[in-house]
Parts: sequence; structure tokens; C-alpha cells
Amino acid sequence: MNNQEAKKILILFRPGSADEKDSSFDEARQLAKTDPELARWFASHCESYLILRPKFQAIPVPPGLKEQILSERKIYRPYFLKYSRPLLALAAVLVLLLGIIFGLESFRGGAERYSAYRKRMIESALRSYSMDLTTNDPAQIRGFLNTNNAPADYRLSGGLKSAAVVGCVVSSWQGNPVSMICFKTGRPMAPGDQSDLWLFVASRKTVSNAPSSSEPVFARVNKATTASWSDDHNIYLLAAVGDQTLLAKYVSNAP
Amino acid sequence: MPGPDFETVVAGFYEPLYRFAMSLTRSEADACDLAQQTFYMWATKGHQLRDASKVKSWLFTTLYRAFLESRRTLTRFPHFELTEADSDLPVVLPEAARRLDTAQAVEALGQMDAVYRAPVALFYLEDCSYQEIADILEVPIGTVKSRMARGLAQLKQIFAEIKPAPKQPRGPIE
Repeated sequence: MNNQEAKKILILFRPGSADEKDSSFDEARQLAKTDPELARWFASHCESYLILRPKFQAIPVPPGLKEQILSERKIYRPYFLKYSRPLLALAAVLVLLLGIIFGLESFRGGAERYSAYRKRMIESALRSYSMDLTTNDPAQIRGFLNTNNAPADYRLSGGLKSAAVVGCVVSSWQGNPVSMICFKTGRPMAPGDQSDLWLFVASRKTVSNAPSSSEPVFARVNKATTASWSDDHNIYLLAAVGDQTLLAKYVSNAP
Repeated sequence: MPGPDFETVVAGFYEPLYRFAMSLTRSEADACDLAQQTFYMWATKGHQLRDASKVKSWLFTTLYRAFLESRRTLTRFPHFELTEADSDLPVVLPEAARRLDTAQAVEALGQMDAVYRAPVALFYLEDCSYQEIADILEVPIGTVKSRMARGLAQLKQIFAEIKPAPKQPRGPIE
């Protein structure tokens, strides 16, 4: 092994880590003890690593992140159920009972709390989704949604009519179709993002406890600001990452 | 046998996962999203993991995949073996390292080619073995080493272009 070959190995060495016991570094480290130039190079490498490592490890973690993750756990599928047959049986009974309750509820016109619907829709917008139709033509979007049995009889506020539409997604909530119409605000977006303003339209029958007024109700969900309102047929949920001022201009003249 | 419970996993890994995400995205909001998405995946699919010792690798792999997906760069990067790496192997100089603060170090990572960013972040952030890093990034171990070597060379160049962190002004002495 020569000096250059040793450097190729030692550049990956992390002092104070498991690499200290990794025998693949032994020969090169041995050579560094006899080659003064290599020894200086290696000492410099180790010193830099020991200076930089704590700097990277000092990246501050936002307060409340852990609590936020744990709070979202509520909507997750219970992981422990996988391992307990009695609990699975109990869960099955509960599901059956809930099914009956929700079935009756649906029959009366209700389905699920609005806050859960809103949270799920915002999560789908903020996380990855793929557009079912990409177009700047509002008529094409309405036609596509209609063809796919998603709500297409929506009425856009003046602000949204003038916003740049980029496409749509046919989403769902409890088996009912939800139209997700995607817009661009014109603000800079992260690479790969296609839109940063989303309008969800669902039939009033789909979600219970939704705001029944045409007057928008603002709320914060995760890092998004939302506005919710209704008309005779539909529930509207508008969301964007930003403050209420940003959203207000799009909900103005809301139906 | 049941695996670790959700809260234990979150408590044990949310900070290192967030730091890894932050080093990839340079955005607090995106890093929070990635960390949350990773634990969401854990809550829904973690039970499929049979080997409890692989929880850390599983979480880091999942976060890295989510990052790639969010950037629409799922295309496999070409594999470079270490033997193909440049013979010039510069070392990041201690003086250059010393004059950076954490924000500048993260900024420098963000300026690196995406293909080198994750291995170099893991190089500094985690005590993973090279085999674990290869598992997380889902590439051969030779490729990991090659990318790290090239990434460290690139990092040295970026560090050289960064101005020293301004000294914090001292507050009034009471």
C-alpha cells in the first residue's frame, strides 16, 4: 500500500467512532505512523472531522416536533394490534359496532367530523401527491372531475377565479369523492412542487360538522392556513402554507 | 415478539432523523414534514420489520426515500466505485472547519450535489457503519465510499468559498 492508496482509505475514517475498531483501516493507519506526510494529512483529516461533527450535530430540533409526531399517532393504524389476537378480536367487535353507528349516522346524513377530514386533506396536500390531470384550463378540470364522479358543481370565489390553476386530483374521504383543485400563488416553490394553493370540494353529505355558512372560517392545520365555507351543495376547504392574509385574498367574494 | 412501541421509537430517533432531514432539505418545514412522514410510515408499516435491531436503518432509509420522492429524483444515480474516484484526495482543513458555524455547515451541505449530500450528512451526523449507510441509501458499500470521498472533496471546495461566521456581539455586562 502506498501513500495515495492509504489516503483513499483514511479519508473515510471517523475518529471516535466504530471505525476505530474497523480492521479495514488498520493497514492504512499503520502506514500513517511511518510516513510523516501521510501522518500530517491524517491528523489534519481527524482534526477537521472532530471540529465539524459537533457542528452538524448541533442542528437545532424545533420545539414541539416530538409532540406533533405523537399527536398524529391518533390517526395511525394501531401498531400493537398486529401482535395480539384478543385485541384483534376486540377491535373487530369495535369496528363492527362503529360500522353500525356510522352506518346509521350516514343514513341520517352525517359521516365524520369535519376536523378529521380537514386534517387528512391538508396532510395529503403537504405530503406527496401526483396530479391526475395537469392543465391550466379550468373547464378541462371541471370536465375531468365530472367524468370521474367527483364534485364538479363548485363555485369559485373571485379570488380563486383569477388564480393560476395547474391541475386536479380526484381524492376521497370515507369512500366519497373529493375534488382537489391545485393552484399556484406565484410564490417561489421547492423544486418538484407543482402547486402551493389547494381547494378541496366535497359534497355536504360527505362530512358532518362542516361550517354551514358561506362566510369563510380560518384555521391553522400543521403549517398550513385553511379557510372553510359551504354553499347549498358543497363544502369548500382552501389551504396554503402561509398566513391568513395570503388566503384572505383568494376567499374574497366567496360564494 | 412485539417490537418497540411507537413512543419509544419516536423518542429515540426523532432528533437524529430531523437533523438528517434538515441536512438534506435545508428547510425546517420540509425537515419536519419528512420526519413526520417517516413516523407515519413506521406506524403503518413498521410492524413488517422482523429484526428490531434494524429500526434505525429502516427509519433512515424511509426518510431518504421520502426525500427522493419529494424531489422527484427517484432515478438511480450511477454507481461509482472507489477505484474510479479521483486520485486527488484533499482533506477539509481544520482552519476552514473551525471558522464555520452550524448554519453555514448545513448550508454547505445543501450546496453539494444531491448524490453526495446524504452520504456526507451521515458521515458527520451518525455513527452508522459503512454497511448500515449502504443499507440506508440502498447502494453498494463501494459506492457509498466513493460518494463520500468525492463528497468530502466537494465540501472542501464549498467551505473555501464560505465567508467566516460573524462574531456574536456581546451583550451588556450586568
